[in-house]
Amino acid sequence: MEIKNLSKTYGGFTAVRNASFSVKNGEVVGFVGLNGAGKSTTINMLLGFQKPSQGEVYLFNKKVTLPRAHKSHKRIGFATGDMSLFDGMTGAQYLRFVARSYGSSTKTENFKSLVERFDPQLNKKLSTLSRGIKQKIALIAAFMTQPDLIILDEPSSGLDPLMQQHFLELVREASQRGATVFMSSHYLNEVIDVCSRVLLIKNGELVKDIPAAELEAQAGKLVRVVTKRKVTAPKGAELVDTQAVTGGYALQFIYKDKSLRLQE
Amino acid sequence: MFNVFLKTLRDKRYFILGWSLGLLFLGFMMTSFYPSFSGGQIDQLLDSLPPAFQGLVGNVQDWRELPGYLGSQLFDIRLPIFISILSILLAIGLTVGEEDKGQLRTLIALPVSRRKIAFGKWLAIVVICLVASLATVVGVEIGIAVIQKTLDQSVIVRLGLFTWLLVTALATIIYAIGLSTGKRAITTGVAIIVAIGSFLLSTFGQAVDWLADYEKFSFFYYFPAVNIAKDIVDWGNILFYAVIIVLGLLATLIFFPRRDVK
Repeated sequence: MEIKNLSKTYGGFTAVRNASFSVKNGEVVGFVGLNGAGKSTTINMLLGFQKPSQGEVYLFNKKVTLPRAHKSHKRIGFATGDMSLFDGMTGAQYLRFVARSYGSSTKTENFKSLVERFDPQLNKKLSTLSRGIKQKIALIAAFMTQPDLIILDEPSSGLDPLMQQHFLELVREASQRGATVFMSSHYLNEVIDVCSRVLLIKNGELVKDIPAAELEAQAGKLVRVVTKRKVTAPKGAELVDTQAVTGGYALQFIYKDKSLRLQE
Repeated sequence: MFNVFLKTLRDKRYFILGWSLGLLFLGFMMTSFYPSFSGGQIDQLLDSLPPAFQGLVGNVQDWRELPGYLGSQLFDIRLPIFISILSILLAIGLTVGEEDKGQLRTLIALPVSRRKIAFGKWLAIVVICLVASLATVVGVEIGIAVIQKTLDQSVIVRLGLFTWLLVTALATIIYAIGLSTGKRAITTGVAIIVAIGSFLLSTFGQAVDWLADYEKFSFFYYFPAVNIAKDIVDWGNILFYAVIIVLGLLATLIFFPRRDVK
């Protein structure tokens, strides 16, 4: 995947400004930014939903154009956190429809394992399902064809913590079999957990392209500890707040080290 | 493409069922009213009405025979109103309706070309319009059986086919605008202007002098149901609707693959 000087302007508003980056085969890259930072717009241009105002997108060494974007979709799995599925279908009918579009079947081992893992309600109409269940079905659709490239736009936003773990496992497995994963998120922890590299986008501009491990070291974590006895923040931690609470003391601080030791 | 075609038919199955039953009922009821309309007393009553009102109810002379009655009362006046509503709802639902819900985006994320998606959906429109036209014809046939009259089958076949052509052409225009622009306001606006404008021009064109010159701009002008019922078929009218359908489809296939989808 390669993006060169990509910009997208809507009227007078620039959603993405002069973004350039590339993703190598087999990499798992996180794309992080706040709401409205330009993540979804970038993904829309990547998949050929929207035409760049400036710049170019290349997938599998071929330039993406709107009329020909579907050619690369055969090798891509795609899901978003708020994916609009076809309400008139059941989950099973939707997945069969998607599989037929890819020229594959839902009778594969991979499909069965995905269904076992996520346990979605495939026989119910999609219009009656909760956002979380629909999200599981969208993820099964994205992973079931074992695509070479998986593009995910805030994929875990509707999932409960257990399903979120299943999803992250899925990303790791896809990476192990050599697939490339590009996922946007505003949960830094989730991205650091599975990605080897992180791109940070702010106000439409790519502000950082950094290995995930390095970002984790830089970022630190906000910790809130409630203890019976008064304790002090560990060495090197940045104290945020300390206060007396019922039954003890609450202490908030930011720390960067993985191990944590509190002193009385 | 076939996948999208079948999906569209599946999505619209209740729409198809509802409209088919409604149009079947309309065809049946209008036909079953025929004996009450063919008497001499109602002729006298309608002859005394002002010309502008007669434009709304059709030419009274046409009512004396069943083909003329069906042409003027069902296919020339009422059916175009209902099928205009059908066309607008169907085409807007399949274009800007699906795009606003995000379902079009989900569809184009699949490895299916936008042209195939557009063609598959359009093909479903053609089939739905055919089913709606057939339902009207079946309703008329049931009505004829109930009132125990006979009708040359070619009359109803001609009217049914022309209805199909009209509704497909109207739906194709709205579909083309919806899928080519993705803008609900433009699509709905044009659809309503075409439907209401055509209705007003066709119904009042015969009675209001200054409107007569503009009657050709009505979409229904090229569907002279009474003449069609009497076996006077103008091939120019068929050509008009055929050209509209081809141009609409071409515009869709050209512009939809080149525009941003929300």
